[in-house]
Amino acid sequence: MKKTILKVENLHYAYWNGKVALEDVSVDIHEGEKIAVMGSNGSGKSTFFLNMNGVFTPEHGKITYRDTLVTKKTLKELRKNIGIVFQDADNQIVTSTVRAEVGFGPMNLKLPIEEVHERVEEALTYMNITDFKDRPPHYLSGGEKKRVSIASILSMKPEIIIFDEPTAALDPLNAKMLEEVLAKLGSEGKTMLLSTHDVDLAYRWAERVLVFNAGKIIADGTPLEIFKDQPILKQANLKKPMLLELYEMLVQNELLEDTAVYPKTTEAFKAVVENNVILLSNLA
Amino acid sequence: MNFRQKMILTASIAMAFVFGITPVTNAMHIMEGYLPPAFSIAWGAICIPFLAMGYFALKKTIENDRRSITLIAMAGAFIFVVSSLKIPSVTGSCSHMTGTGLGAILLGASSVSILGIIVLIFQAVLLAHGGLTTLGANTFSMAIAGPLVSFGLYKLCTKLKVNKYVSVFLAASFGDLFTYCVTSLQLALAYPSQVGGVQVSAAKFLAVFAPTQLPLAIIEGILSVLVIIGLETYAASELRGIGFLKVGEQ
Amino acid sequence: MEKIVVIGTIFIMVSILWSAVNWRFFNPNQAGHSHRYKFRHNHGEGVSIDYYAYASKIKHWNPTFKVSFSMMTLVLCIALDNPYVSMFVIAAMAYITIVKGKLPLREYLRVLAIPITFILLSIVAIIFDFSKVPTGLYDLPIGFGYIFTSNAMLKTGLYLMLKVFAAISALQMMTLSTPSSEIISVLRKAHVPKLVIELMNMIYRYIFILLEVSTKMKNAADSRLGNCDFRTSCSTFGNIGANLLVISMKKANAYYDAMESRCYDGDFIFYEEVKAVDKKLIIKAGVFMVTLIIIWHYTHL
Repeated sequence: MKKTILKVENLHYAYWNGKVALEDVSVDIHEGEKIAVMGSNGSGKSTFFLNMNGVFTPEHGKITYRDTLVTKKTLKELRKNIGIVFQDADNQIVTSTVRAEVGFGPMNLKLPIEEVHERVEEALTYMNITDFKDRPPHYLSGGEKKRVSIASILSMKPEIIIFDEPTAALDPLNAKMLEEVLAKLGSEGKTMLLSTHDVDLAYRWAERVLVFNAGKIIADGTPLEIFKDQPILKQANLKKPMLLELYEMLVQNELLEDTAVYPKTTEAFKAVVENNVILLSNLA
Repeated sequence: MNFRQKMILTASIAMAFVFGITPVTNAMHIMEGYLPPAFSIAWGAICIPFLAMGYFALKKTIENDRRSITLIAMAGAFIFVVSSLKIPSVTGSCSHMTGTGLGAILLGASSVSILGIIVLIFQAVLLAHGGLTTLGANTFSMAIAGPLVSFGLYKLCTKLKVNKYVSVFLAASFGDLFTYCVTSLQLALAYPSQVGGVQVSAAKFLAVFAPTQLPLAIIEGILSVLVIIGLETYAASELRGIGFLKVGEQ
Repeated sequence: MEKIVVIGTIFIMVSILWSAVNWRFFNPNQAGHSHRYKFRHNHGEGVSIDYYAYASKIKHWNPTFKVSFSMMTLVLCIALDNPYVSMFVIAAMAYITIVKGKLPLREYLRVLAIPITFILLSIVAIIFDFSKVPTGLYDLPIGFGYIFTSNAMLKTGLYLMLKVFAAISALQMMTLSTPSSEIISVLRKAHVPKLVIELMNMIYRYIFILLEVSTKMKNAADSRLGNCDFRTSCSTFGNIGANLLVISMKKANAYYDAMESRCYDGDFIFYEEVKAVDKKLIIKAGVFMVTLIIIWHYTHL
């Protein structure tokens, strides 16, 4: 069993106008997990993230970070270790140069300036944006801004990184760049949460899927468990990932042997199909 | 007479130039370098008590609620952007409103002084409107005197139960007009007429700026009313919900 | 010698007028023609000034040096109040901005031309005066009296104009080469209250956010004929203004969340690059200041 980093218990949160946003949310997050958070707009994903990071204070419920209960005193420790990449980079970038933006978090951590410098350079290199470190954010493109917003989280070296709908409003090339970054971070064993409406992305990337609906977690399991559960999908207004649907269809029509190895990428799918040429030849 | 004819010709050509070219008709920012040192310093000094008042009012608001800092900063950016939006005009020339009257109505006069000076610095630095040596004079006319009149008139009208839109119109227009009068006076004090002194000189400045400033004041009033109507339509609950209407008000 | 000053002033006026007229009449056709026109067309002249600060070849000069150099020049300019000093400053600042900073001449003239309306109008008020009786100088009867001017008054007007242009070019030398974030950091070093610095930093960033939003709304309005006549454009303006405020309030909250999530606790401390002070530049700047004073010393009355 992997070590638990973050333990969320019975979280309740309501907005100032009394609208309940989160209701009795409990979840454990373990080291190195790649979790996709799904659910329709307004189901409470973003509110959940802001609670996890301590920006919002829950009405009741507990958050335990590495065996320490989060209180006002230990809040900073939580924020330091859980970074959120916000959906709209334009709502996140506060400073007027890329360099200052990436250094914003480390400076707030009151790190020595040499350390800040090192971390900033590292994050800039990681996101491949060293070239425009002196540029102001308002002269960058959408994809570049996204990279800046990710670098500004990386420079804080958080244990858990939360991506709030990272692929929204990105062109295919930048979406691909983002997935490469996710893969790279994953290979380094980073714990990540990612909210998305893209079931295909969740299916191929995640190890675990949380489904939110009306402020509650209605399902928590592996992508396969979740995406095969028709009632859950219906309740959360999700559709089946294309590859899963295709695979099931082929199996159902006995065109593919049911090996229970569900291919999650087009490459893997191609390999499975190629191994089943004999069966497919039945089609002819 | 021959010579006079020449003069008439010259004067009319000059007038044609002045009214024909006018690439940007702005609120009256006194240009960089226009005022002699003594006046630059004096106007700056006059602003200090008002700025200090605004500073402490803002500080108190922010200490009570840290979160209000982003709201106040947004309000400042809003004043800047509204004042840089091209406003509709009949003649086709391009002009801008000051936005500070609207700011004073929404935020209260004291906070606008600090936001006003920041906006004026950015206007000088980013738009080349106004300047740093004339910052004191401009701050006084645009961020202190004008907003004070707007705020006072608005409060007075509310007390007298004048129709809200009429009060907004009056407050914004007269705030603008007052700014224009104060600026003319500032210019006249620095450059009094050789014959008639400050009075004549003030009359001259008022006269040359009248064609651009009078219509602008009326348009400013109309637009402020339209913005307020828009706000009430789209965001009445929001404005109250986050207490934005109260920021900086005493 | 005075004639030189007058000729110089007229030359400056003509060249600036020329660029102003040029800009107004030819620019619309070129909108979208190149990158920088696109910028200007979209956002007004504001963004392009800031844009040039980032493109300037003297951006790497120490910002504190640039700000104090420009400020001292400004102060000397208005304190010495001397046409020769003004002309020298105009030439020197143009040299720094155009030759050293590699700003296109056209753009430089365009920036200098921005305040032209104000300058012309206010100078008209200074060089003309009223009198009940003809003064024997240059008189223009207007029924109840005379508008008159004199050589001395014309000279005052011309000298004032020179001074204003010198001051503007000193200020523009700074703003066309120093990004606003650096100017703000210099203000912080000058011990401007922290709250004001924080507000300035945020306002600067938000200005661009709101400008972008307002441009989008304006385009959306234009595409639906929102500016077809004066009445509609007024109400469109009102709607854009109101919406802009609503959006700015929503964004303000989002920003605070984003800052807080990165451990912001009410203290804006920026990580910025340290740009070395070039000793040679300081010496040159000192020589420049002394030159100004020497010019003044030999020419003032």
